[in-house]
Amino acid sequence: MALLSIRNVFKSYFLHGKRIDVLRGVSLDINAGELISMIGASGAGKSTFLHVLGTLDAPAAGEVLFDGRSVFSMNDAEIAEFRNRTIGFVFQSHYLLPEFTALENVAMPALIQRKDRGPAYAYARELLERVGLGSRVDHRPGELSGGEAQRVALARALVLKPAVLLADEPTGNLDPTTGEGIHQLLRDVNRDLGITAVVVTHNETLARSMPRRLRLAGGQVSEA
Amino acid sequence: MHPAERQTDYRWPFLWAGALVALVGAILLGVAISESEAWAEVAGALGLSFVGWGGLVQSFDAGALALGAQKAGAVAGPKMLVAGTLVWLAGWGLIATGIRRSPASEEGPSPAAGAPLYPRLARYRDFYWSTLGAYGGGILLAELVLLLLQTVLSSGVPSDLGGAAREASGGLSLPPTIAFAIAFIVSMAVSFASGFVGASRAQRLSFPEATIGVFYLGLPVPILLSLMERVPSLQLALGYRLREVTYVAGLIGRPELAYWLVFAALVLALILGINTGFIAAGSGRVDLRLGFELFVARRHVAVFRPSLLLGALAVLMFGIIPPLIVYFIIRGAEAAVERTRVKALGLADPLAAASAQHRMKLHEQSPTMMMTALSVGGVGVGVMALIIVLSVMSGFEADLQQKILGTNAHAVVSRYAGDLPDYDKVMQQVKRVPGVVGQTPFIINQVMIASEGNVDGVIIKGIDPKSVGSVTDLPQNILPGGDLDHLEQPARILPSSAVEDGEGKKDAAEEDPIIGKASKPAKPTVLPGIIIGRELAASLRVVVGDRVNVVSPLGTELGPSGPIPKSRAFRVAGVFYSGMYEYDSKFVYILLKEAQDFFAVKGATGIELKVADIDDARRISNQVVRVLGGYPYRARDWGEMNKNLFSALRLEKLVMGIILSIIIIVAAGLIVATVIMLVLEKRKEISVLKALGVPDGGIVKIFLAEGLQIGVAGGVLGLFSGLAWCLFIEKVGIKLDPEVYYIPALPVRIEPVQTALAVVIAVLVTYLASIYPALKASSVEPVEGLKAE
Repeated sequence: MALLSIRNVFKSYFLHGKRIDVLRGVSLDINAGELISMIGASGAGKSTFLHVLGTLDAPAAGEVLFDGRSVFSMNDAEIAEFRNRTIGFVFQSHYLLPEFTALENVAMPALIQRKDRGPAYAYARELLERVGLGSRVDHRPGELSGGEAQRVALARALVLKPAVLLADEPTGNLDPTTGEGIHQLLRDVNRDLGITAVVVTHNETLARSMPRRLRLAGGQVSEA
Repeated sequence: MHPAERQTDYRWPFLWAGALVALVGAILLGVAISESEAWAEVAGALGLSFVGWGGLVQSFDAGALALGAQKAGAVAGPKMLVAGTLVWLAGWGLIATGIRRSPASEEGPSPAAGAPLYPRLARYRDFYWSTLGAYGGGILLAELVLLLLQTVLSSGVPSDLGGAAREASGGLSLPPTIAFAIAFIVSMAVSFASGFVGASRAQRLSFPEATIGVFYLGLPVPILLSLMERVPSLQLALGYRLREVTYVAGLIGRPELAYWLVFAALVLALILGINTGFIAAGSGRVDLRLGFELFVARRHVAVFRPSLLLGALAVLMFGIIPPLIVYFIIRGAEAAVERTRVKALGLADPLAAASAQHRMKLHEQSPTMMMTALSVGGVGVGVMALIIVLSVMSGFEADLQQKILGTNAHAVVSRYAGDLPDYDKVMQQVKRVPGVVGQTPFIINQVMIASEGNVDGVIIKGIDPKSVGSVTDLPQNILPGGDLDHLEQPARILPSSAVEDGEGKKDAAEEDPIIGKASKPAKPTVLPGIIIGRELAASLRVVVGDRVNVVSPLGTELGPSGPIPKSRAFRVAGVFYSGMYEYDSKFVYILLKEAQDFFAVKGATGIELKVADIDDARRISNQVVRVLGGYPYRARDWGEMNKNLFSALRLEKLVMGIILSIIIIVAAGLIVATVIMLVLEKRKEISVLKALGVPDGGIVKIFLAEGLQIGVAGGVLGLFSGLAWCLFIEKVGIKLDPEVYYIPALPVRIEPVQTALAVVIAVLVTYLASIYPALKASSVEPVEGLKAE
């Protein structure tokens, strides 16, 4: 059975009072361990799709099933917990919390899960070393470069060993060399940790390097 | 077309006009009801139209009255009643026509038409009857619990059966303070619990349900109690005396006001319960832990920094200007030093200088930081003002109480009519009552006192010098030169030489002008002693040893030309100073025996008692009466004897407290603004936290904790500065004009409970203030803040 299934999902957003139907009955299956890229024109609804997939936004109609369980029929607190345990996000901007150091930022999901600070920090430190930032654990986001911050954000997404990693143009703000480093990290994560990953991107080379490619156009998702 | 696609439309002119017409109808009904007395008075006073179902109740009443009124022959009744009802109904009809369905929109069906409904929306219910029940029932239950507990624990039983009933039940007659405290705390807990249960069941705040519940189920009780205050027959009918409903009632002398305060407190507890329930349940589970929430909140506001706290404390203690000057001097010096350093660094290593400059910039504070400091200061000022003013007022009250109780007894035992001839026996019995530590018999009367220089009306008291010291401070209050013991040995009032040299000679030299012969060789005239107050001595222009005449209009003597007022000469044996102008100018003391002779009293007027604990005086005096066998004996405690004075003082203190709380409310407004600014500033972070899996309840907790931090910091600062100021007033003193205030310096008395209450109220208000912004924060959609910039 598929890890994630999307069944007949509808979703619109509103621009200047006009309704734009970006997802029109999308259905899709994602298996465990897959590494998927998704491309599409700007405004086609890639981010919206990812938000619905990551339970950040509820669809107007349709269902998202995780392991056969309908995610949106849970209550708010359960959905928040599901998001905390199961899904890791990386966004175009790093979205680190500015008041906290890199280490604290990475450990935050574990703290939200009410894990003890000691082990949480230990694992966060290990992850930061793994993404090559072992020397910058006590720096705040303002003191990190874009590539460094994005690597911290990736470490934060991985700290609870989620089943699914959702990345929304993770290299959109980075230069090609730095971006390639992030891509390599994503591939490593998928291969070494077995984390299912969906990467939304504009970068054709990156998209082609992924085993499965999706295209979002006209409110429908197709294999590319 | 699907009916759900049509929206409700309100035509406001119709609604307003309808409301107006209904109001006119309600007034007509009210007038009609008032015309026909009976329950009319009650219903009119109810003002229940305000609550909502008043109109209905009134029309029922009116119907009942209309039937009875014809018998009674009320003229205006029926016609106005019918007219009022019709107008009232017409008004509601107008309102009903003002609400209608709007026409459908022309948009066609969407591509998703017919797809299964999103499950959470399918489960959505917008009104919870059980929650309404929990809130309304909870507050009603809390009120009943308060009344019942108060009744059971203290003397709340119908007052005319008071003594007997308490005896019969074997007596949970706790002191009123404790009884009220227990009843109040338990009812607050009930109210809190019902709010908690209601909110955690509904999984949302459900304020509409809470409002309706409080208004329809909670409000009638205080309204009924207020009515009982107005309509004594209602109290009699229910066999309940309002004074006993709350302890506060007796304290401030306004029972209904006291009960409204209690009601407000219960509603507050309910709101707190609802809020806590909502956070706890979030949307399903009870989780009151504060782990990362506090972590995040502390980083956001960072109130507990020494610089901020010390700065705010300095402002509270020394005003705004001096600390500001010191701050600028320090900052100026610091900046100068830092700039010099950076420049020196720059000469050696320009890049190091650049990063040093960057660090300096990081030190600069955001506007939110300033707002936070201001809010802390605001709460601090409020708490400080509350503590200082209440402490000074308590000081005045304590001073007054001490002076009154120094001169007067804590309780007085007497008979309803007549004197106490057998006061010795009564004193033997009273002695056995636990809590009585001193007693003395007395006779009291009103007389005129005249010296050569002046005349004044005074209250004269016959006292027993041996025991009077065990009840009042009179012996200590005698100024040097006089002596209480001289009452019993009047011969010693004048120094023996003075008797011989002064008055003795004068007497000896006195010649009878008619007979022209010296009267008998002078023996010093020994007059009974009298003790007078300092002010009276000044106005009579007498000193110790002078002679005064006491004239009693009662008990006339038969003179040659008919009855003349009884008059007797006394010699001033001492002057006392109690510190109360009223007493120092109005009281004189003579020996009990002299008073018995003068006023022809057998025994004494009554017995003055001193009790161990003055707050327990009422209970002990009740017990004394019981020991004495009740009627015809009675005992009145100091609170009863000076009721007007002390209830006025307490009411004044309460009003001052409420007025000063306005400062705290203003500060709370500041906190609302600050936390809203924080929410706006942290919109993106809120979204990120939600994406990381923080539930709505967690976000609420974070921002509540932020508001609460400001409140706690402000409260603690206010507490410290308030106490410091009180200590300053106490030790250094602020001089007062003794001619005006009769007290040399501003008195201060720090009451721990009252002080703690000021801080707790401040923290509570700030907590309440941050509820709204916190809810606002939790309603930020995660997607909103995550849109790419």
